[in-house]
Amino acid sequence: MLPARWLSLRGVLATIVAVLAAVPLLFVVGSALQLGAEEWRSLWSVRLPELMWNTLLLAVLVAFGSILLGVSTAWLIARREFVGRRLAIWLMVMPLTIPTYVFAHIYISLTESDGWLGRLWHFLFGASSSPPELYNVLGVTFVLTLAGFSYVFLLVQDALSRSHRSIEEAARMQGATPTEVMRRITLPLVRPAVAAGVALVVLHVLSDFGAVSMLRYQTFTLSIYLQMSGRFDYQSAAGLSLVLVGLSLSFLILERFFRNRQRFYAGAQSQRIQPRRASRFEHFVIWSWLGTVVLFALILPLAWMLVWSWQAWQNDLIDHEFWGYVRNSLLVATAAASVAVVLALPLSLYHARVRSWLSHMQIQLASVGFVLPGPVIALGILSVVLATLPWLYGGLIVLVMAMVVRFLPLAVQSQEAAVQQLTPSIEQAGRSLGAGPLENLWRVVLPVIRGGMVSAWVLVFIDTLKELPATLILRPTGFDTLPVRIWIEASEEMLELAAPAALMLVIGTLPILWFLTRPIRENRA
Amino acid sequence: MRFSVRHLWVLGVLLTGTASNTAFSEDALVIYSGRSDKFVKPVLAAFTAETGIPVKIHAGKSTALLTKLKLEGNRTTADLFISNDAGNLYKGSEFGLFQAIPDDILGVIPAGSRAKNKQWVGLSARARVLVVNTGDTTVEFVKSVFDLADPRLQGKLAITHSSNESYIAGVTVYMLEVGKEKTAAWLTGMKGNVRRSVYNKHSKIVADVAAGKKAIGLVNHYYIYRHLAKHPDAPISIRLPDQGKDGMGVAWNVAGIAISRYSKKAEQAQALVKFLVGEKGQAQFAKVNREYPVRPGIAAAKEVPAAGSFKVADVPMEELGRQRTATLDLLESVGMP
Repeated sequence: MLPARWLSLRGVLATIVAVLAAVPLLFVVGSALQLGAEEWRSLWSVRLPELMWNTLLLAVLVAFGSILLGVSTAWLIARREFVGRRLAIWLMVMPLTIPTYVFAHIYISLTESDGWLGRLWHFLFGASSSPPELYNVLGVTFVLTLAGFSYVFLLVQDALSRSHRSIEEAARMQGATPTEVMRRITLPLVRPAVAAGVALVVLHVLSDFGAVSMLRYQTFTLSIYLQMSGRFDYQSAAGLSLVLVGLSLSFLILERFFRNRQRFYAGAQSQRIQPRRASRFEHFVIWSWLGTVVLFALILPLAWMLVWSWQAWQNDLIDHEFWGYVRNSLLVATAAASVAVVLALPLSLYHARVRSWLSHMQIQLASVGFVLPGPVIALGILSVVLATLPWLYGGLIVLVMAMVVRFLPLAVQSQEAAVQQLTPSIEQAGRSLGAGPLENLWRVVLPVIRGGMVSAWVLVFIDTLKELPATLILRPTGFDTLPVRIWIEASEEMLELAAPAALMLVIGTLPILWFLTRPIRENRA
Repeated sequence: MRFSVRHLWVLGVLLTGTASNTAFSEDALVIYSGRSDKFVKPVLAAFTAETGIPVKIHAGKSTALLTKLKLEGNRTTADLFISNDAGNLYKGSEFGLFQAIPDDILGVIPAGSRAKNKQWVGLSARARVLVVNTGDTTVEFVKSVFDLADPRLQGKLAITHSSNESYIAGVTVYMLEVGKEKTAAWLTGMKGNVRRSVYNKHSKIVADVAAGKKAIGLVNHYYIYRHLAKHPDAPISIRLPDQGKDGMGVAWNVAGIAISRYSKKAEQAQALVKFLVGEKGQAQFAKVNREYPVRPGIAAAKEVPAAGSFKVADVPMEELGRQRTATLDLLESVGMP
């Protein structure tokens, strides 16, 4: 292994980052401690059972939905060569650029009687039957699955196209049937990727505010928000947050348990699997399935945005203020993504190599940002900053800080996955050839995990670009971003103003997604 | 390296640096506004044109902005707070976030529409009314909001969900007029009539009543006229509930403004409040949203029923804040969707 001194430097840095990330948790624990036993009891008996059931049910349903859509599409794309395959990768990733509240808003208006789907429904089933309501658990599941399945797709597709031929070939040579190979080799190999993808999806579900509030489905997040803003009851809100954190952390531990039971290192020389050329019939099957997914996850929402944006354009509603929102959004997202990637590095390097209570603790602390609801993170940071560094308050730095805390786990997850691919022997070789720790990091480690760092950057960038609740609270005075405008305009029913902002979110993310699909292409070479 | 993470990092740092310098013009009055931008911007532009004082709007939901104001304490950048609900204004003064407005400014507004402790003042008022489909004769019996609990309205009634501010304020008024028990029974009846299907937006209620999908809805008056302005032939009309000798009158709520306790520009802030309660400001502030100016003698938009021509429930606006938690508890105990 590496020298202890070097590891401990990483350890110290990692600890500092983890503690910083856990700042909002301090606020939550502090406020929750002020709850009396009686209040806890009433919280426990009146609200928790229903909230727990609603939240868990939703998480399970969305997880299943995302596995169904994500794994099936990933397998088709990774293992078959067909016309439009590269396009398909793009189409599967692009729904990530659409925020959940935009999805919810669009599908609400599409399924209304005078919406496109509503009219289609009346045409097919008669005017007397009404299209299905979205204001229930299935509606929310539908929306959140479409908004989240791409995470599963991305990670599974990456794992499948990176898995090495040697293992599957060895199995075939031992006489295993294709189904057996699938069941005993391929699936176990992608299991860590599926678990990581589902973890991302479930964490998004647990912390989602936009869709559940638009569709009025009572989860922890929505209930916490209502406690805070309707009743100004911060203590109960903190109490509920604490339960939510417990829930999410136990889920994370479970996921890590599944993921860490096995670790694979592939030899440097083995060949990657080449996708097989698809037959005509397979082309038909592949594109029917991918097309259905894309239709709902991308084409319909995009068409809606384009139609309404066109209205806005014709009415001259896109002015210099609008471009200001675009600039603000890009600014925050770029800053947050860059800071998060750098801060995540010591954490992921340390945790990938050292398994101890300390490294586990750090990872759990760094995950806190992701499991706390956005409004709670914002309030936590706001209180702590005002108490300790008041001169910082009101500037952009505080907002960026909140975004980093919120999305640091994304960066850690994807960098860690990359570091795990880095065989320890490579690092040791660098050291034994006389490279110092920094040189080794710069010349050996970083180039190898570059792919992981890029995806970390992109994931944080995209999520920051879409972030709503914390931005609403922490943005500097009058500093409006695209999501803030979407939210303001949509709550005033100014669809023609919300649509161009949503469209800009998608367009603004496209060049970034290009980076994300690049490593996938490199792997095929 | 084809693509360098370092480049992005450097770029990020540069952008962050430039951003913190994009000056937040120090001389502008900062307003935390829970009211729609489009209803606030024109009148504020008129103020700036008249006085030369620039204004910056920080938009959001009233309750969230109030939370922000509370947590920021003396570090707040806000000079003023605008809310569409008197309940929030009351809460803010209860938290000690505002400062008193001088009498010579407040005096022109009737006492019922402003705070006793002078910490906030109402600017425009809205009435809680019924919208009915003119083609539907089965709802003619509805004369009071309490008739909305009648089982004859099964599937015909449209109301918003119970975290809507206007809805909560309305329920508070009814609760104060007739007591908790009767209000709870009324809510239970409505709950049965809507069959868990409630609306996100008042505007959708009006649209669905116009389309004949619902027969009757409970809304703020201006939503009806907003719809009629777009669709002049829509088969809807306003019905003012609880009129007549024994009626309690329609529920009333005001949008209003307060000056932040920690404002460093109290003088300019007062100038803005003075402008908004002035004749010109009053007409403009209310008219863009077809609301009723709070100051007597200023006419509302001509399409709405003239102020004074109908009865208004006699509940001081401060009660909307004082009783809000009680109302929320009541709504929750009934399990209103």
